[in-house]
Amino acid sequence: MASLKRSFDGDPFAANISSKVYVRSTKSGKVQKIVREVYLRQDIPCSSRLCHGCLNTAPKDAAGQAIHFVLSDAPAGTSVFPQGHYLVPDTNALLNAMDLFEQSSAFYDVIILQIVLEELRNRSLPLYNRLIGLTKSEDKRFYVFFNEFRLETHVARLDGESVNDRNDRAVRKAVAWYAQHLARTKARKIPAVVMLSNDRDNLRKARDEGLHACSLTEYVKQLKDGDRLLDLIPETEDRDAAKDKRPGEQNLYPEYFTMSKMMTGVKSGLLHQGIFNVSPYNYLEGSIRVPAFPKALLVLGRENINRAVDGDLVVVEVLPKDQWKEPSSQVIEEEAVTKNENPDAEGNEGFVSEKERKALQEDVKRTQSKTTEGHAQPTAKIVGVVKRNWRQYVGHIDQSSVSQSGQQGRKQDSVFVIPMDKKIPKIRLRTRQVAELLGKRILVTIDAWDRGSRHPSGHFVRSLGELETKAAETEALLLEYDVQYRPFPKTVLDCLPKEGHDWKVPASIEDPGWKDREDLRDLLICSIDPIGCQDIDDALHSRPLPNGNIEVGVHIADVSHFVKPNNAMDNEASIRGTTVYLVDKRIDMLPMLLGTDLCSLKPYVERYAFSVLWEMTPDADIVGARFTKSVIKSREAFSYEQAQLRVDDGSQQDDLTRSIRTLLALSRKLRQKRMDAGALSLSSPEVKVQMESETSDPIDVKTKEHLDTMSLVEEFMLLANTSVAAKIYDAFPQTAILRRHAAPPKTNFDELSNQLKVKKGLELSVESSKALADSLDACVDNSDPFFNTLVRIMATRCMMSAEYFCSGTQAYPEFRHYGLASEIYTHFTSPIRRYADLVAHRQLAAAIDYEAVHPSVRSRGRLEAVCKNINVRHRNAQLAGRASIAYYVGQALRGKATEEDGFVMKIFSNGFVVLVPRFGIESLIRLRDLADTEPQATYDAESYTLKTTGSREVTVELFQKVRVRVTDQKDETTGKRGVKMELV
Amino acid sequence: MPLDTSAYSLALLRVDGRRWNELRRIHAQIRTQAAADGSSYLEIGHTKVMCVVTGPSEPGSRRGAIGSTGGGVGGGAVGGGAAQSKGAEVAVSIVIAGFSSVDRKRTARGDKRILELQSTISNALAASLHTHLFPHSAINISLHVLSQDGSLLAALINAATLACVDAGIPMTDYVAACTAGSTSTYAANDEAADPLLDLNHQEEQELPGLTVATLGGSDRVAVLVCESRVQVSRLEGMLAVGVDGCKQVREILDRVVREKGRRMVQEGTVEKGVGLNDMDVD
Repeated sequence: MASLKRSFDGDPFAANISSKVYVRSTKSGKVQKIVREVYLRQDIPCSSRLCHGCLNTAPKDAAGQAIHFVLSDAPAGTSVFPQGHYLVPDTNALLNAMDLFEQSSAFYDVIILQIVLEELRNRSLPLYNRLIGLTKSEDKRFYVFFNEFRLETHVARLDGESVNDRNDRAVRKAVAWYAQHLARTKARKIPAVVMLSNDRDNLRKARDEGLHACSLTEYVKQLKDGDRLLDLIPETEDRDAAKDKRPGEQNLYPEYFTMSKMMTGVKSGLLHQGIFNVSPYNYLEGSIRVPAFPKALLVLGRENINRAVDGDLVVVEVLPKDQWKEPSSQVIEEEAVTKNENPDAEGNEGFVSEKERKALQEDVKRTQSKTTEGHAQPTAKIVGVVKRNWRQYVGHIDQSSVSQSGQQGRKQDSVFVIPMDKKIPKIRLRTRQVAELLGKRILVTIDAWDRGSRHPSGHFVRSLGELETKAAETEALLLEYDVQYRPFPKTVLDCLPKEGHDWKVPASIEDPGWKDREDLRDLLICSIDPIGCQDIDDALHSRPLPNGNIEVGVHIADVSHFVKPNNAMDNEASIRGTTVYLVDKRIDMLPMLLGTDLCSLKPYVERYAFSVLWEMTPDADIVGARFTKSVIKSREAFSYEQAQLRVDDGSQQDDLTRSIRTLLALSRKLRQKRMDAGALSLSSPEVKVQMESETSDPIDVKTKEHLDTMSLVEEFMLLANTSVAAKIYDAFPQTAILRRHAAPPKTNFDELSNQLKVKKGLELSVESSKALADSLDACVDNSDPFFNTLVRIMATRCMMSAEYFCSGTQAYPEFRHYGLASEIYTHFTSPIRRYADLVAHRQLAAAIDYEAVHPSVRSRGRLEAVCKNINVRHRNAQLAGRASIAYYVGQALRGKATEEDGFVMKIFSNGFVVLVPRFGIESLIRLRDLADTEPQATYDAESYTLKTTGSREVTVELFQKVRVRVTDQKDETTGKRGVKMELV
Repeated sequence: MPLDTSAYSLALLRVDGRRWNELRRIHAQIRTQAAADGSSYLEIGHTKVMCVVTGPSEPGSRRGAIGSTGGGVGGGAVGGGAAQSKGAEVAVSIVIAGFSSVDRKRTARGDKRILELQSTISNALAASLHTHLFPHSAINISLHVLSQDGSLLAALINAATLACVDAGIPMTDYVAACTAGSTSTYAANDEAADPLLDLNHQEEQELPGLTVATLGGSDRVAVLVCESRVQVSRLEGMLAVGVDGCKQVREILDRVVREKGRRMVQEGTVEKGVGLNDMDVD
């Protein structure tokens, strides 16, 4: 029998085939050994413009296009490499200091090795994506060199060699090859090839082999603005050195479990995995929702929190029952407790400081004094972090942590940065530019949190500007809520119509733009929006039909005509997800040209629209609905106020006004039907900041007025959304983009319903949205008209948030929109400012056979990704908008003091929260704010009453109406100007 | 873990270092089992298959024939279209070894995927083999998969062709097969995607692909199987690359056959016949 053994001898390609063997473990814990072929080749170019040899053999793609060469022929030099240089970073350099590589002042002509890219991808996907972004940028000149596939630079792992050692050797070999290769080009000035690494061993070996090699610090020092960049190098670099220095240092935190121990623990149900959330009132208390229990687990105290930061995915272990506690009824602010810590002295002053201990003591006293076991909640301790959710944080340097010498010299100094987000612990930062950075808003990242360090350590990224300047605060806000605010890149602007502002609806009906479009230019259409609205998404009309019924039309800007699926503009819009409205600024989802002109349904001009037309009886029963692409000409753009005046003015009897009156009458009936079905009318304190027109400085704050015309527009938009949702679900049962609002779990209302029962003797029934709506209606206090609104505001906070989803991911009963009491719902009416609407437009267009369905609109995986992103963006946009209002309210009140009515929303044992509806703000009043010497207080958790004695005697109850003096105050902890309230 | 297929655009290199139009290393042998009528062994990269042909012979009881010694997979696909009396039937049976992929798997009895492979191969070969010369007889093709790394159907077709040549069954031309794919996923909808030749396992998992077999060096397509979603605009490019790949595969198969023939003449196993006149024996 002939041998089947592969004979390599006779094969000319044998030397070029290698294989890669690695072992991986799957999610289910299986270990797999993977063997992959590797074809080694010699035609992988060096991509240097100095080299002509490689240019001749450059690879071509299927269309015959050769890849263009990236690395400059005259790269920048440094003090040590005046001839110019190419950089070759190793994985750790990129892992630690990606911010450096993204600088625009240095770090050009960088060679990224394949092995480095692979390692980076395995270690951190976000960093990998950032690096891919850099390689795509034209001006940064990053080139990915596939060293593993090039014959000369391929390295086989030796016997007994660790993977890391082998990879380091591969990096050195590639650096050596580059140096030799470039030397052969005979160029006048041959650039040095410099390896960047923080691994001392690797650096030493590289130097032994005669290669250029630097650590990040050494390299940055050679640069012109080295001092500035030096701060961007993270702490971890010197860690090895620091460890040597202080061998006796004690570990403050318990060690994390190993990953496999955690995974087996979670699998067997002994440990639980979940997202860690820090309480907004108490930085030493957090909670974790895990699937195994209906209620969240509490995590109390620094040691149990064990270095987790808000948002991290952690694994917890439930503590024994005798350690279960109630959630703290106290407000504990990090700033107040750890005020005088010294950032340099680490760990010398005991782990849990005296003050912290005292704060916690109160808790213990309380739980032990009462024997009501039932109130205690299960607590847990964190035993490991599966995934960190660290991002870049905006904050400012804590003035008190700066030493005198730090303010003058350029000596490296440790300071604390206090993040704007109160849930994030303060971050220890080492910088040489303390003097410059004091009083600025700065962006920092967390690098590490060692067992031996009380606070996480991080590094400085960049400065946003002076505290309390409009530019810095706005940018801080946008960064904090991850809003994409950079101007649109050229590739996006290239997708706009060439005619620019001169674009018009084609005059000839034969034009392809008119294909399958209905001509609705004759209809009396008008739009009703807030004052000064530029991006008009929607317009309406109504007209009587011969049979006594009424035709109602909702016309939505036809954005999908201009934004085609999958081009650069579409991708950008899908990343941005939504337009963000700040008080003084709007961050658009689509370029201005489309948003405020071509798509906007401006009056007196013809525009493309997507129309929903209903036939309704005068009782607002729907006879039929129809969807069509159309051309419309809006007769007028009203503001809510204008429209209201016109409707109320009996002398106006023109057709347009009459049609608005018809719409108004219909909308009332629609609203009534919705309410009967159990729709909730919820509330949130909303205010409007009035600006001075010239300087755009805030001058006054007004609560928003509610007009009938607002509910007119709202009702018809809801109706359009519901109709469209049903249609696209019918056409695409698996992939329709819909919006749902889950019913809140009953336990969410436990506290509120108890509070109402105890304080007001009212019952809150939460069986269904209808029951809830009715019981909310019954929550009235005759002496206090605002009480009902207050309860609605508090009930709103117990709800889940609505979310977008792809219809295939949920069962039909789960589609329900709880708040609107609608079986099915989507967003269709604002495609200029929401991406979900744009997708719904495309799906509807396909559903009515207007255009072929585009694959990206049908791919479920892709739609799920889109939904996930826009849910986050939507939430962030809301938060950013609110934060912006809060900032401007603070600015508007600057230097003024007013007395206002407020309502007590929440009570702690050492303070209470007051909501002032006039300004839509809520603020904490602490006991120590009541009088100069903090009064003694007794807190009765059963009746939600706080009684103070001593220096000032007051009794504060929940829901109580109080009179407060509102002044402005700069909040030292967050650096934000906010309001300060005093009880009068 | 290595990079995935999305890294192609960085330097026009695939996950294993090939360019878009390159085949993997193909290694083939024929007459590996002296006792069989025809046999072959073929590797495309790490995909390794073996083939044994028995016949043409009298169609005995279907259980006794070599086709059903496969154990795990019962029966075999019968093809040829022609009625039993007119020509030989081509029965194909495939056995996929439990150790052939990363996870040890048992193939279920009557696995639909395997049945489909069997009938595809049976139909393709029946079109090329001159079955009308052997009425009332059966050709049993037994295929064994030793290792899998993508392009399995293509490897099986190529191995079966070689074994039929070895068995001396007259045929029109080689049936040569290979796979083709595209560099970006269906959902990415990237117009500028390059076509790819000869997909390995990872590429098959992540990218759209098809298997194509042609009759010898001609453009006549004998098999075309596409089991993934792909935009119709990319199909033409993929097919062109695939057909081009089949021609390369045919050359490789032809070389293997001629080399073996030359060796056999040298060793005196066979006499130099008339048909071998044009062969360079020295």
